[in-house]
Amino acid sequence: MNGRERVIAMLQGQPPDHLPVMPITMMFASDLIGARYLDYATDFRVLAEAQMRVAEGFQFDYVSVISDPGCEAADLGASIKFFPDQPPAIDEENALLADKSKLSALEIPDPAGGGRMANRVKGARLLKEQSHGEKIVEGWIEGPCAEAADLRGINALMMDFFDDPEFIAGLFTFVLEMEVAFAKAQVDAGAELIGIGDAAASLVGPKIYQEFVWPFEKKMVDRVHALGASVRLHICGNTRQILDGIGRLGCDIVDLDWPAPVAEARAAMGPGQALLGNLDPVRDLRNGTPESVYAAAAECHRQAGPRFIVGAGCEVVRDTPPANLAALVRYGMEHQA
Amino acid sequence: MSIFDELQQAIIDGKAPVAKEVTERALGEGVRPAELFPNAIVPAMNEVGRRMRDCEFFIPEVLIAARAARAATDILRPLLVGDEEVRSAGTVVCGTVKGDLHDIGKNIVAMMLESAGFQIVDLGVDVPPEKVVAAVREHGANVVAMSALLTTTMVNMKAVIDALAAAGLRDQVKVMVGGAPVTESWAQSIGADGYGKDASAAVETARSLVAAA
Repeated sequence: MNGRERVIAMLQGQPPDHLPVMPITMMFASDLIGARYLDYATDFRVLAEAQMRVAEGFQFDYVSVISDPGCEAADLGASIKFFPDQPPAIDEENALLADKSKLSALEIPDPAGGGRMANRVKGARLLKEQSHGEKIVEGWIEGPCAEAADLRGINALMMDFFDDPEFIAGLFTFVLEMEVAFAKAQVDAGAELIGIGDAAASLVGPKIYQEFVWPFEKKMVDRVHALGASVRLHICGNTRQILDGIGRLGCDIVDLDWPAPVAEARAAMGPGQALLGNLDPVRDLRNGTPESVYAAAAECHRQAGPRFIVGAGCEVVRDTPPANLAALVRYGMEHQA
Repeated sequence: MSIFDELQQAIIDGKAPVAKEVTERALGEGVRPAELFPNAIVPAMNEVGRRMRDCEFFIPEVLIAARAARAATDILRPLLVGDEEVRSAGTVVCGTVKGDLHDIGKNIVAMMLESAGFQIVDLGVDVPPEKVVAAVREHGANVVAMSALLTTTMVNMKAVIDALAAAGLRDQVKVMVGGAPVTESWAQSIGADGYGKDASAAVETARSLVAAA
């Protein structure tokens, strides 16, 4: 089996030859080819070269266009701070929707319009060409809560849940339509899997998650499925209070960040959910040894059972010792589901 | 329900207009401004902290509670000048380090420290070391509390410590650090005096650092 076949087998409930290996790498990949991260995030050719190098060098089963959360916001005209060698970041002090009334005038950017979204779409197309069907190509969009936070400012959004539920509904609806259009462009370009990153969803607690966030995550997952792609959901942070809801979204892969024990996710989501993760990227993967990384991966696998994909809880940190990452991969290659 | 209980409940419920109204009513009834802190505002925020620790409250609830507390304190602070009954637990200069724009964690820590009686000088996000140095000097801070959410930016915590040393201020101020990628061993390795695993721990750390100074 090649990497693409291995991932597809896992997602279809068939036994892969060994566990799929799909850790998120961004800055680690950029460093691997000696690129500045600014170039990785803004030039799809740099990203594709780095992704192919890291996936082939470490024998990952996939490549991804994920770079930073600011693509959509940038194309909408939000203020983004760019740094030479770290991810672009949303400038919350000058949030696009600091004035809520501006929402009604926002228009969904054209994913082929030449901005940062178009750059990502080109990345998906180039990775599809360069991977020759041997790796699964993953597109990436922001989830409703994360993108809403990027546009409104995360502090303001958190209070909007209480102050203005109507605005939340309008904002999430706009985000849903924008992200589905973005996903479609990436699927059309060759992405077979769409990652949805909904970081801010881990901050809101189970009540707000269920009332406001979950319904839009569910619509997003369903609409991406309707495009013919599989879905990997990644929510940064502590999701222990919302695992049950996440398990009911119908995601093909739930990519679990490290604060939530895999066993809890398994118990909440049942035996059928493919779980990915979830070594602590700093304490386990970067600060550990090859032996401890291997053991940590084994423990995740033990807790997850057969429906398991090897990865870290979040992005592989840029100065992770390569031998540690290799040990993580080796665990996957030496074990079957 | 006493007027103290009313204010406390308004803060816990995150009802800023109610907190404002109750505060004004209390003052109108002759309650001294300093009485409202230990009898209403501090216990309210302590309860908010407990609920956050016990996963009853999450970020939205905490932020609206903090906003309600601020509605009260904005009225009260100008009236407190010279009032000996409100003693500061210390002055904390806080911020998210240079290159990092994440501020939710820092905001929660600042709010918890403020409710614990510390004076807060919040420098915001993307804070260069020289700005910390200037703030420590200007406010005579007891503690510097720095936050980072990225492994790429946490190295700038060391730059803050180095800048304080270069300015001759390192012996006068304690430095504590926190944030998702920050560990106790990292804090020690860069020469920080304390580490806060979460907002509650940060308050304890700040208290112990000031007590030990």
